[in-house]
Amino acid sequence: MSTLVQVGIGGDKHSAEFLEQAHASKFDFHKVSVKAAGDEKLKRAVNNAVLRQDTGRQVRLLDLPDSDKLRTLAGDIKQHSLDYLDYYLEQFITNVEKNGGHVYLAKTGDEAKKIILDIVKKAGCRRVIKSKSMVSEEINLAHVMEMAGLDVVETDLGEFIVQISHDKPSHLVAPIVHMDRQTIAKMFSEYFKTPYNDNPNDLCAQARVYLREKFRESDFGMTGGNFLVAENGMVACVENEGNQRQSVTTPRVLLTLVGIEKIIPRMSDLGVMLKLLSRSATGQPITIYNNIFGGPRSAGEKDGPEEFHLVLMDNGRTEILQSEEYREILRCIRCGACLNACPIYRNIGGHAYGSVYPGPIGALITPLMQGLSEFKDLPAASSLCGACYEACPVKINIPKHLVNLRRDTVGTKINHPFERFVYRAWAWSLHSPGLTAFIAFGQKWVLRLQSRSHGGWVTKVPFPGSGWTQVRDMPAPARKTFHELWKQRN
Amino acid sequence: MPYDPSNVLGLIRASLKRTRTPTEVPAPPVIEEPIARLVYTDIGLAELFARSAVELKMYVELCSIDDLFEKVVDFLKEKNCKSVMLTDTPLLKNLEAAKYLNEQGIVAKMWSEITLDQSYDFDAGLTEVDYAVAETGSLVVKHRPEHGRAISLVPFVHVAIVQPKNLVPDLLDLMEKLQKDGTGSGVTMISGPSKTADIEMNVVIGVHGPNVVKTFVLQ
Repeated sequence: MSTLVQVGIGGDKHSAEFLEQAHASKFDFHKVSVKAAGDEKLKRAVNNAVLRQDTGRQVRLLDLPDSDKLRTLAGDIKQHSLDYLDYYLEQFITNVEKNGGHVYLAKTGDEAKKIILDIVKKAGCRRVIKSKSMVSEEINLAHVMEMAGLDVVETDLGEFIVQISHDKPSHLVAPIVHMDRQTIAKMFSEYFKTPYNDNPNDLCAQARVYLREKFRESDFGMTGGNFLVAENGMVACVENEGNQRQSVTTPRVLLTLVGIEKIIPRMSDLGVMLKLLSRSATGQPITIYNNIFGGPRSAGEKDGPEEFHLVLMDNGRTEILQSEEYREILRCIRCGACLNACPIYRNIGGHAYGSVYPGPIGALITPLMQGLSEFKDLPAASSLCGACYEACPVKINIPKHLVNLRRDTVGTKINHPFERFVYRAWAWSLHSPGLTAFIAFGQKWVLRLQSRSHGGWVTKVPFPGSGWTQVRDMPAPARKTFHELWKQRN
Repeated sequence: MPYDPSNVLGLIRASLKRTRTPTEVPAPPVIEEPIARLVYTDIGLAELFARSAVELKMYVELCSIDDLFEKVVDFLKEKNCKSVMLTDTPLLKNLEAAKYLNEQGIVAKMWSEITLDQSYDFDAGLTEVDYAVAETGSLVVKHRPEHGRAISLVPFVHVAIVQPKNLVPDLLDLMEKLQKDGTGSGVTMISGPSKTADIEMNVVIGVHGPNVVKTFVLQ
């Protein structure tokens, strides 16, 4: 990363710091989640947002004749596209090139960054308007572009707020669910040097005026993509604000960065996906704008890009693709429904997941793309209640995969050595009925003794049980064990 | 070619356990109408469109072509629009809409007469859309020389005209039409005024796109 910092012309100070931090700290889920769970303000902000979206989703799905079957169909379409990804991707690329676009394939995030910076440099552009894209967050693209001396502005209101506060998004569709309006107002007042005003309408208006000039002057537009239609080489993007439309309207050059898994075969599949995506994400029947584009402007057009570049990024996705078991995880259309439904996400927010993909789906994608050993705690951050599976519009069996990842953690011995020791000792003791009875007897009396001074509740036990009682109490064990009762009865 | 494309495609093929991309693949899953379709009828599409669009905070009015431009002028005046740009589409050109609007005291320019940068100074855009979807209340615009992308995006007020023949029942029908007729260099679906809910889930209307969208559906 340090090479990039040196390359940067002038270089934005905050971007340098951000990029360094992004790679310096080791992920400690326990520490961050404990802190997040204790943050009442955060919890209130997150719950306010996601409960509304989750309710919206449930209500809006009722519009559909049979939402369950439609979700199965959408899942099947995505699965089919993944099973024949090479075929559809080649078809897509051929069609984009036929439309006059340039296609690049990037194996890693670093490769994608290099390709993109080259494109910007060759086109001689400096003023970049960037619309919201999770895949660009994945590689910290805005910061990297800033470091390269470009004037980059995030134009989605939420992402703009993330950018000026040097923060990170904490939700797939609502990047600043973790912020309350007072925090945002304070930041605006500092950034624009204007008096404090926390009326959402006024804050929006302020950003609108500022960004409008940025749009007008821009020469480089950048978007992500929700779907890539193989049969005609079109990219489909959904949004509500109109900033993404700006990216495909005003700037001279347009760049779209997408993950390779976004392919769908036909335009008719897009119809199915659009019916589910916005309903699942925000409870809207359809997003305000759906942009479908796939090449430069046609002859005689006065707006739209003169050049169109499309970067398809792997960055760990083929790792997931190659496993027949995990492949279906790539069906994900990033609607965020599983986040909104998840009791864990609701309690700790998105930042605690330590990656741009939070929530249940993030607990799968992050370890699989970035390595299980660093992110092995994420699959454990679930009560396996199944709410995510029920919410998923493409029916990814998230709980099953969470369990499978736990299995892999144990199977590859990257779990804590002490954990392995405890389980081995336990297994060993269970082989002997006498030993089991003896341990149960000892355990019972130690716990009963401890609970006596606390009204029948066990509140504190020595290590390693202390980890358990730190956050929970449990009732004292009964005077007689099940074995003893059983013997008495017969 | 500085970046070897066969690399990622090679990786994908290897992940799918084959060395060569298949030349033929099984047909994708069938989209069964009873599961996916929401609108079956061709009757009353205008009313259905109006109902869906109003739910998305669009203003919709059904009117006859004789009253159309009078109503457009009234609406623009009501919204304090002093200037408007128009798409170079047949209906607006043949009926000399720009001339009429100018006579009524509103500065009206055809898209062919202005530059993209100038479009930022207009109060309103008047468009004749290519399709309108009754299911979702969406206006659909195909990007082309006569129909600039900026007209329905940059000004704060967007007035759209929908001809009855361009109404389609369901999103599935729209996709079929786009596939059959082609998408051109791009397509935009507009389903209401621009909005955001990023700040504490407060819905704010009018962010980067128009905050007022009015649609006249011709009868």
